[in-house]
Amino acid sequence: MTASTIGTGPGAWFRHIGSTVAGLGQAYRAGLRDRPKRTVALSVLVAVLLLYPYVAHTWLAAFSRNVFPLPLPDDTVETFMTIFAIMAIGLNIVAGFAGLLDLGYVAFYAIGAYVAAFLASPHWATLGLNFIFLGNVDQGTPGVHLPFWIVVPVAVIVVATFGALLGAPTLRLRGDYLAIVTLGFGEIVPLVFKNLSQVTLSVVLGPLKISMDRVDLTGGVQGINPIDSPFLPFLNIKFDARAGFLPVYLGIFLLLIAVLVARNLEHSRIGRAWMAIREDETAAEMMGVNTVRTKLLAFALGASFAGIAGAYQASYLGATTSDFFDFSTSILVLIMIILGGIGNIWGVIMGAITLVFVNSTLLPYIGQQVQNYAPSLPNPAQYNFLILGVTLLLMMRFRPQGFLPSRQREAELTAHGLAHVEAEMGVPLDMDNTSVAPPGQSETGMDARAPETPDEARDL
Amino acid sequence: MDQLIQTLIIGLANGLIFALVALGYTLVYGIIELINFAHGDVFMIGSVISYGLIAPKSSGGLGIFEITSGTPAPLMVIQILAVLVITVGLTALLNVAIERVAYRPLRNAPKLAPLISAIGMSFVLQNIGLIFAGPNQRTIDNIFPTTNLLSYFGINSVQLTVSQVFVGVVTVPLLFALTWFVAKTRQGRAMRATAQDPATAGLMGVDVNRTIAITFLIGGALAGAAGVVQILYNNVTVWNLGFRFGLNSFTAAVLGGIGNLKGAVLGALILGQVNALSDRYLQANWTNALVFAVLIAILVFRPTGLLGQQLADRA
Repeated sequence: MTASTIGTGPGAWFRHIGSTVAGLGQAYRAGLRDRPKRTVALSVLVAVLLLYPYVAHTWLAAFSRNVFPLPLPDDTVETFMTIFAIMAIGLNIVAGFAGLLDLGYVAFYAIGAYVAAFLASPHWATLGLNFIFLGNVDQGTPGVHLPFWIVVPVAVIVVATFGALLGAPTLRLRGDYLAIVTLGFGEIVPLVFKNLSQVTLSVVLGPLKISMDRVDLTGGVQGINPIDSPFLPFLNIKFDARAGFLPVYLGIFLLLIAVLVARNLEHSRIGRAWMAIREDETAAEMMGVNTVRTKLLAFALGASFAGIAGAYQASYLGATTSDFFDFSTSILVLIMIILGGIGNIWGVIMGAITLVFVNSTLLPYIGQQVQNYAPSLPNPAQYNFLILGVTLLLMMRFRPQGFLPSRQREAELTAHGLAHVEAEMGVPLDMDNTSVAPPGQSETGMDARAPETPDEARDL
Repeated sequence: MDQLIQTLIIGLANGLIFALVALGYTLVYGIIELINFAHGDVFMIGSVISYGLIAPKSSGGLGIFEITSGTPAPLMVIQILAVLVITVGLTALLNVAIERVAYRPLRNAPKLAPLISAIGMSFVLQNIGLIFAGPNQRTIDNIFPTTNLLSYFGINSVQLTVSQVFVGVVTVPLLFALTWFVAKTRQGRAMRATAQDPATAGLMGVDVNRTIAITFLIGGALAGAAGVVQILYNNVTVWNLGFRFGLNSFTAAVLGGIGNLKGAVLGALILGQVNALSDRYLQANWTNALVFAVLIAILVFRPTGLLGQQLADRA
């Protein structure tokens, strides 16, 4: 990997990303030469995915409406596919690369959305705070209005900071305790947004005197709206719900940035450090990996993707309330990366697209057909979480590595995968797993245990 | 002062119900080191089953043991016992079935797998509750007389209701029965042995699979009993009741030291008070945030809980 030669500092980072983009053409030609079938198939797939939003909006939707109903995702669903794909990539960094199971990822999505709401809405006008900077609003509009292109980087920085802040106390925790603490954060953050609607406070810090009397900080149960839409000057495009397929392409643009960053992280020094602590934290530390810094970076960088997703979601919908951000959303993103193949960027993107499609388009479509032709049958759209639950059970039982697994992760998650790797390494399989930790077994809670008998190996 | 005592009484009743559910978490964690995410939902299923048995047909129940405030006391006792037995039996079997289907096949899989499987099972159970109880809250009428028992002692400023006494009458014997079972019986010894070291316990002739199944049976039974108590005490159930209630109980188990039975009860009693005091003296909409903050604080600063054993590598 050329990535291993990255220097340090932001300058080197940008140079590296530049050279990655430049190297794509070269890599593509090499792929065409070495594995022509796969490369052509992938190119066709990518081209179809890229053209789909336009084609669907322009022709297919009318066909589906007038001629024959098809389960076609509409513009909003496609936009949410990109939003959830960005989140899946981010959670994949925390849970997939670094092996830190985060059950409260929705907290960062919520913070991202509220950052957008705070920086681009009339919300603060009630406090007399009015500030417009390049915002797509008329002069004199009440409230704070910054353009989306500033909101997103701010959201990334804020959310990354919160990621590190929330990550810091969990550094000592491993495995399922970590999962529960993150779940707690995921529950607290939306509650805070919901409850801080009447804040009465008076603090004196030396010369600074802060006093509030029933100030509405977060909009409470109603949330905050309207939030300014992303706006592209010069071309005069407003990416809101009325802009047809255009928001999908903005989503794809943000997704591409996310993929690029995640790919680079994966193959960088920090990416290897993540995987090292995932495999065996103690061993990684012995080899000189700074586990504190590495874990904090995983939390911060992983969270920042949810910041992008949250800011875009709020700006696109033009509103945000704390009800968007509940535990089931955290689990939904987790299911996406498990379904797609934890650890593999392309896998988790496919997982996100598939799950949003099934949830928002396929099940309601089937429900509609059932209503039309057999109204006495139950409507499957009502039971989407039942279907998700059963999917999780079946996946854990029969294919825990997901549909597009990363090779390394597969080895950890399945006994025969581990057995395969261990056989290559010449490790005897009949080790007693209760007393001696075989290679690959870590104490992180995401450990893989050697099967006790060949029977059990098959069972898995 | 009266207000504080009143709050403490409410907190005690809450805490006793938490204790029944928390024991299910702590038993299962003690024996297979799994956070049984679906346990709160087993409790919810228990309360939905007992709702179905108690509520009259006119309000969507089955009305098999229709209990109203007008039912004569002896009949009411028999009916409550019948509801308790049926609900406890069903949830116990349900919990064993859950273990068989969702956790046993994954016993040697990486730890993440059964946890995610448990989350999946939680969703499945919530939807089963949704199918049977519908999306809205289900309420029954309070069946107990609302007289203040303390007024017989000349105290009128603090209320102790029959329903609160009922909570104690059902839960306290169960807590003692469980402690006796685990400490004194042969099967209880098998459970403790399996919790310490499943492989060695197996070599010593303990049927590990059976012991784990019995642990789930007991956990499910306690959750079912908690479900009955909760519907008769709070008079309300809803399909997503299990999530928050389960997290409260899990917090209680962790607070006391997960894997430790006495700890779970102690933690539940403390958490019941935290809930009641927060509802009374802070704002009710901050209670959940406070509970989670407590949970996080314990896990971060004292992962072994108040009475926990040394579990350093587990935390």
